[in-house]
Amino acid sequence: MHIFHVRYRNTQGTLMRILSAASRRGIDLPYVQAEPVEHAHKVTLLMDVNAKQVGQLCRDWRAIVDVVDVRPGAPIKELWDHAHLGLPHPPESVTSIENARSATA
Amino acid sequence: MRKGAQIVLDCLRAEGVELAFGYPGGAIMPLYDALEGSGIRHVLTRHEQGAVFAAEGYARATGKVGVAIATSGPGATNLVTGIADAKMDSVPLVCITGQVRSPLIGSDAFQETDVFGMTLSLTKWNRLVRSIDEIPRVIAEGFHWARSGRPGPVVIDIPVDMLKASMDFQGAVQFTPPRAADHVGTESTFAATLIALLQQAKKPVALVGAGAKLSGAVDGLQQLLDLLNIPAFATVHGLGAVKQDSPYYVGMVGMHGTRAANMALDETDLLLVFGARLDDRVTGEPTRFAQHAKIVHFEIDPGQLDRVRPCELPVIGNLAETIPAFYQEARKAHLPDFSGWRALACGPERAEPKKPGLSHPTKSFLQELFSRMPQNGTILADVGQHQMWSAQCFRASSPRGFITSGGLGAMGFALPAAVGVQLAKPETTVLCVSGDGGFQMNIQELATVHRLALPIKMVIIDNKFLGMVRQWQELFFDRNYAETDLSDNPDFVEIAKAYKISASLLKEEDFLDPEQATRVAESLDRFLRSEKPELLVFECHPEANVYPMVPAGASLSEMVFEE
Repeated sequence: MHIFHVRYRNTQGTLMRILSAASRRGIDLPYVQAEPVEHAHKVTLLMDVNAKQVGQLCRDWRAIVDVVDVRPGAPIKELWDHAHLGLPHPPESVTSIENARSATA
Repeated sequence: MRKGAQIVLDCLRAEGVELAFGYPGGAIMPLYDALEGSGIRHVLTRHEQGAVFAAEGYARATGKVGVAIATSGPGATNLVTGIADAKMDSVPLVCITGQVRSPLIGSDAFQETDVFGMTLSLTKWNRLVRSIDEIPRVIAEGFHWARSGRPGPVVIDIPVDMLKASMDFQGAVQFTPPRAADHVGTESTFAATLIALLQQAKKPVALVGAGAKLSGAVDGLQQLLDLLNIPAFATVHGLGAVKQDSPYYVGMVGMHGTRAANMALDETDLLLVFGARLDDRVTGEPTRFAQHAKIVHFEIDPGQLDRVRPCELPVIGNLAETIPAFYQEARKAHLPDFSGWRALACGPERAEPKKPGLSHPTKSFLQELFSRMPQNGTILADVGQHQMWSAQCFRASSPRGFITSGGLGAMGFALPAAVGVQLAKPETTVLCVSGDGGFQMNIQELATVHRLALPIKMVIIDNKFLGMVRQWQELFFDRNYAETDLSDNPDFVEIAKAYKISASLLKEEDFLDPEQATRVAESLDRFLRSEKPELLVFECHPEANVYPMVPAGASLSEMVFEE
């Protein structure tokens, strides 16, 4: 798992362009958080990518008009664990969890 | 007070737009209503794809921004192929699309599509206009991004109620980008590093792409190559950037490139790349591309670096600045004499084996035709076998003299693009070479050619097949010619005549007949000199192939030749 921080001006479609750089390569996005930071916005992404894809993604993001900064991080296991929070993926609905509990009661 | 539609046109004029291509429809009608007296000439094509390709042709021929206009829904979706084409080939393009009334957006209204979302990944920049007062700034910003840095396509989607509304308009605005510089800076000492690399190199080569032409760096590049005297070759889009009679020029590189170019690229120990993105048609199998070489990449777009493998020295910036900057340092340095390597790489022993195969008549025909073209003429090629034969036969020295859809490979490109080129350069000879498959993809633009009396010279290389696909079926799919047979083609001569365009047929055997040589030569001259549109259908052998060829997955050294 790799973590990326992309700072961008929150103009029309910029966040979508950032995300579609991953989706066009068939990369899952298990963790995405976008938030305002100072005068811009920042999106944090956690993805399972190889070294070649890291390069491709960073180049694609830097080519987006309203992207201000791209910071790829080292592979991070802890954040992946945090992203999962020990819950099943994909998350189960409350109803199904309750059903499971009642089934095992 | 001015209406939104008038403001759009005022802003286009302020950006220098004199010509736009388009097709009207419901949501864009207010813009068409305001066209008269706007100072903008509008060319009605017969399909929105024709409009966007014509705008591309105009932009590729001039370097100016091409403009295409379409309505919402199907009008906009028909633009998409051209937008993708402009993105792949770095063509400055602005598309204006009408959108349904803003209160209806998102309601699946009649002729509503999510144009903004649909073109998000195909454009360099796009916007959905949300209020009339945004129009001047959005148009200024759109043109800025279309033409700045690495050029590309922009889409501006305007709801019809914005076009109808009025506001107090103070005039067009200028856009100042918030970020002046690129993310990656040019290495300030690149010249010293590159000189050191050249001093260590034994077999350096230069690979020239479209970036050299787009940035206006052709003269500076020629000066540098004259100094270095190393083998140089071009991608399809780089054709024309290096004078073809230069002693170090070895032709086109890549899948259908020359043997000399591909061998030099395979052997080199220092590869200088000038404005090329090194796509798979150029590199062959990427893991075996220029395996012995260090790479120095002159490039305006940092996004194009390291795509195949990391380069040793990226030189980021406008090639019109970085190449002369390096030349000034290089001419003062003591560089090795590469003439021995150059003589070997460009020597006759590296030429292709000359075996006249099935493709020989067609290539001879194209060579004969191209040799009769005026120096400042423009040749357009559609997509397929004829495209590669044309690229192999192209010998003109004009940087913008060869235009084709290279990155996307969009069949149907050439005819409408030729409309744009001829309108941009009314005094020059425009020759449009298509295959029988591609010509039928935008055949309706014959009506545009006729209406405007554009003296485009159209050639169809008719092999009654989707030739390039058939060639791959022959070579890699055991001759299973699945759905590539076009033997029931229409009579193209009669079709042209229905559009009131003069047309004739030349069969391969007649072209080869020595007794008809004089007549054929005269007819080709008449064809090219005509002041009217002309169509010439050249019937060639159905199983002629394009050689040399690097099979998919092979390295450049594993070329296949005609047997």
